[in-house]
Amino acid sequence: MTAFFDALPPGFLLHLLGGVSINFWIAAIGLLLGLAVGLPLAICLASGSRWLRWAASPVTALMRAAPTFVTMYFLFQVLQAGPGGGTALSPVMTVAWALMPYAAAYIADSGADALRHWRAGSFSAALLFLPNLVRAYFVMVMSSGISAAIGVQEGISIILRQANAMGSFPQQLGVYLLGILVFGSIMQVGLLGVGALRRFAIALMLNRANRRAAAQSDLDFDGSRIDPTE
Amino acid sequence: MKARLAALATALLLAAAAWSAALAQPAPSAALDAAFAAELATARRAAGAGCKEDAVDRLVRILCRGKLRVGVRTNYPLFAGETAQGLAGYEIDIARAIAAALGVDLVLVPVTPANRIAMLGEDRIDLTIATMGHTSLRDGQARFIRPHYYQSQTVVVGPRGRALTDFDDLAGQTICVTVGNASNAELSGHNARLMLFDSPAKLVERLSAQACQLAAQDDSFFAAAFADPAFAARYETKFGFAPVPWGMAVGREGTEHLAQLLSILSARFHRDGIFLNTAATHGIATGFLERQRSAWSGRCNSATALQDGTCLAAPLVTAVPATPWAGQVDAIEAWIEQRLGLRATLAMFKMAPAWDLVRNGAINSGLLILGVSLATPCIAVLIGLALGFGGLPLRWLAQGVCVLMQSCPVVLTLVIAAALCNHLVGITTLSGLITAIIALGLINGSYAGRAIADAVASLRADAAKRDEAPVPPHRLFREGLARAETQIGAFIINAIKGTPIASFIGVPELLNALTDTASFSAERATTYWLLLVFYTLAVLLLVPVVQALGGLLRNRASAR
Repeated sequence: MTAFFDALPPGFLLHLLGGVSINFWIAAIGLLLGLAVGLPLAICLASGSRWLRWAASPVTALMRAAPTFVTMYFLFQVLQAGPGGGTALSPVMTVAWALMPYAAAYIADSGADALRHWRAGSFSAALLFLPNLVRAYFVMVMSSGISAAIGVQEGISIILRQANAMGSFPQQLGVYLLGILVFGSIMQVGLLGVGALRRFAIALMLNRANRRAAAQSDLDFDGSRIDPTE
Repeated sequence: MKARLAALATALLLAAAAWSAALAQPAPSAALDAAFAAELATARRAAGAGCKEDAVDRLVRILCRGKLRVGVRTNYPLFAGETAQGLAGYEIDIARAIAAALGVDLVLVPVTPANRIAMLGEDRIDLTIATMGHTSLRDGQARFIRPHYYQSQTVVVGPRGRALTDFDDLAGQTICVTVGNASNAELSGHNARLMLFDSPAKLVERLSAQACQLAAQDDSFFAAAFADPAFAARYETKFGFAPVPWGMAVGREGTEHLAQLLSILSARFHRDGIFLNTAATHGIATGFLERQRSAWSGRCNSATALQDGTCLAAPLVTAVPATPWAGQVDAIEAWIEQRLGLRATLAMFKMAPAWDLVRNGAINSGLLILGVSLATPCIAVLIGLALGFGGLPLRWLAQGVCVLMQSCPVVLTLVIAAALCNHLVGITTLSGLITAIIALGLINGSYAGRAIADAVASLRADAAKRDEAPVPPHRLFREGLARAETQIGAFIINAIKGTPIASFIGVPELLNALTDTASFSAERATTYWLLLVFYTLAVLLLVPVVQALGGLLRNRASAR
């Protein structure tokens, strides 16, 4: 064990965590892009207008079907040189844009669900959109590892490079396991966070419902509400 | 006695005649000089007879004008690059030496790889010395001067200390290359995964930023990078392949005398060590020039050697055989451009080696899609059974697999699976395919298996709520499968969407095949559009199939 850690370059763990922070950054940009495209689609999908639903459905289906890895390669190769030979998209932005169709389709689907629940009066079900968003974010953090294929210096790239530099196969496996530990911890913490957020949302709604029920019983005879802060 | 004296006198006379004849002929070592002087004198006489702007002979025109217009690169350090003192490098010095030998002024004209041959045809330059490889394809476009003035080879550059000695070590490795490089086909043929870039400069940038671990490009290009001590301390040349001779070239029309004169001059430059010494001055590799000098100062040192195949390097054969339907594809391209205004380049359907790659890639992608479509539900069923009905050790094992698969990014899972496969049996196309199918099946199957187990648990809870008798395990499992069919279907689709990631471990599926094709056809936009459409359509078409199968499962469960 000591020999394994001795074989790692000094500061490797910090370097790895720095790389993982790029995965978080890519996923954050991807999620923002997904929100920008997905929310209007969600409104269309949940709208009363049949035409809007018809227009939004195939777009969402296409985004759902687009494989992220191929989309990334497409953007990387086709948009690599912008007008005049300049780089149109940096590798980090390329991956973020590649994650966008997945994020937009997910947000469109779960956002439309949330809107329908909201209209039906089920606010707690609608609020589940938030933990779903967080879950999508962590899935995107894990998916952003594909950016190693186009040379982005994120967590997976750093693990693969270090594994290549190790002398023996068991040491290589050791580096891979270290990677699983780091990414696994992130994913598990993320899932715990999703659970906590979900419980918080439900508790919040229950609390509101209880307060409303209590407020109903506090109405004056003339129907005016008593301000509980007074 | 008289007869003997007469014979002796005849012999002496013959010897004297032979000696005087030999004196009249230039010595072999001076034959090239004499041939050069004769060619130049003839051209000067023609020029002296009257110079016309529209003279057919290019050599005469150069002498009349008193200027030699040479097309040179401006961004190829050590060969021809901008410096504070103007253009400098090996090729610039060669251009100067040629102009001096002809006795004319030198005019340097910047050219690029894209226009260096066209400018010869348009008479905007007389000669190009611009890092141009002499290939069989280019022989039809320009007249190349032989003997060649340089020879490069493609080298694979990687970090010092990384074991990599030949093509066998490249299988499954990512290597950064430039689009359109003729040697890319050889790299992809050895199962290397290519990452494409527009310009060689980006390769050095990427290597320096550690965004590329390996890169392949001409050794002439890397010469400048290795001149940087920081770069040289981190990287080294691993091995070289595909040597290509570099040729000066003149236009096809009216250049017979100019080409002949330059050929003689090139031979003299080799013989006299001018090429060699100039190269050494600029710090570029001199192996080829040393061999050439040895040949041209020895057995090839004569004017007749300019026709001798053993003294001259052959051009690199790069002609790519066309597919039988290349003509029809041309017609389709023209139709698309005329009717839709789009410039589509379907090179992958026109070149036979590219078509082979694409066809095999499509077959491998089909196998991958089929494989993961079967592996995902199979693994899901196994994990669902273990979690829902297994004993404690089996449940723990299944739980462990699920946690591991859900904690590991897809790319890392595939890389670990490939490393294990390589360690155990070695990576081949078949073993790579099987590895990718198992890895993608495990990732998605573990999620789907957990969904089955959850469904089984919910069915048990429902039965307990209703105080019903315990359902037999086989029926419970079947109903659990039906209840989880949406999840199973979603993860099968997810697995299908993930199949292109198998290219990351070198599986020659369609993404890899089309990247390889693009790497030597120099066309990317149409290629990647086709790829995106292929995979998106594959998923869109398979979604209803998976949904229909799920519906079937649900109906059968409810019927029972």
